Amino acid sequence: MTEILWWYWVVFGLVLVALELVIPSFTIIWFGLGACCVGLLMLPFPTLPLAGQLLLWGGFSTLWTVLWFRRFKPYMTDRTKAGMSKDAIIGETGIVIQAVQPPHVKGRIRFVVPLLGDEEWPCICDEALKAGDEARVLDIEGHVLRVARK
Amino acid sequence: MGFFLAAVLMMLVFLTIFLGVRIVPQGYKFVVQRLGKYHKTLNPGLNFVIPYLDTIAYRVLTKDISLDIPSQEVITKDNAVIMTNAIAFISIIDPPKAVYGIDNYSIAITNLVQTSLRSIVGEMNLDDALSSRDMIKTRLKEAISDDVAAWGIVVKTVEIQDIKPSQTMQMAMEQQAAAERTRRAAITEAEGKKAAAVLNAEGAKEAAIRESEGNLEASRRDAEAKMILADATREAIARVTAAIGDKQLPATYLLGEQYVKAVRDLSASGNAKMVVLPSDVLQAVKGLLGK
Repeated sequence: MTEILWWYWVVFGLVLVALELVIPSFTIIWFGLGACCVGLLMLPFPTLPLAGQLLLWGGFSTLWTVLWFRRFKPYMTDRTKAGMSKDAIIGETGIVIQAVQPPHVKGRIRFVVPLLGDEEWPCICDEALKAGDEARVLDIEGHVLRVARK
Repeated sequence: MGFFLAAVLMMLVFLTIFLGVRIVPQGYKFVVQRLGKYHKTLNPGLNFVIPYLDTIAYRVLTKDISLDIPSQEVITKDNAVIMTNAIAFISIIDPPKAVYGIDNYSIAITNLVQTSLRSIVGEMNLDDALSSRDMIKTRLKEAISDDVAAWGIVVKTVEIQDIKPSQTMQMAMEQQAAAERTRRAAITEAEGKKAAAVLNAEGAKEAAIRESEGNLEASRRDAEAKMILADATREAIARVTAAIGDKQLPATYLLGEQYVKAVRDLSASGNAKMVVLPSDVLQAVKGLLGK
């Protein structure tokens, strides 16, 4: 069995990172990075057994994955809400044009820009709203918007 | 042994991470089931699900979906058959409701639009149906919105694409339109003829009046001329009488000369072979003078 030198791991890792470009699964890159770490670790410890190398590779790869989800994912924000169904309209504010009297009377709310093809929507709210109040969309339930006073 | 175990472990890690990391493209939402039950909906971007437990059950398109509603025959209130089709734009706002609430929302909505369209147009007369598309559109949207709401779907708009009478109706309508035009043409022609006749009659009347006026004027002038002639004759006779006075002989002579000349002309004319001459020329002339 040929001896595995430290840079074998580094090259293997870089190839895996490069593969990520071709197969965009966003998983291979972490195995690549893990392999690079193994290679760098073998620089000071060249006599690491192969089983140990593989375990280290698995460990480093998992570490990278977890690190990504723990540390970096929160920085990924939605830059557009386009095509995201209800997320696109939640948070929009409009003017109540017909009073809402919970629990039974639905009101109507009007938006400056049409939402989902309509400028006016029936709305419900936990508290009473009168015409002219500003309200924010919380959710959409069927063809009725749930709103809250802004 | 050690290497083998490590290799298997490595494979497991690889598989786990590979199955656990899910990338959802923008415009989609993935519905995740945990052990067969709805668990959560994945938003676009990088997501992690627990492999072995979670499965991606549905990939739901959250972009607006255009549904082509096929053409269908609809019978109006006045029993005319029209062909109509439509296009609907829907948006899935609640993916779990859309996938669990109905087996196939596009077929369901297509059928719903078709039946609603039939009932709405069925309450209208042909002419109304052909002219008030906007009203049909609004009522159509109202009619299906409540039904699809339970499926977590919003109908953004329903547009009527074509609304046209069936072939036989179209032929009948064309015939009606053609007949209407023919009627108008006939009326226009008749009106033209009437106007022409009136103008002709007026022309004739005017001509007759003018002719009569002309005749009247001519007769008047004729009469005047006769009067003038009579006056002139009277004047001439008066003058002759005055000139003659009691000198009868020259007059008798002149008359006699004229008389003889007339008798000569008479005898010389081609068609009078027998000339009766008075025996006493003088007496005859005197008789002319009335003496």
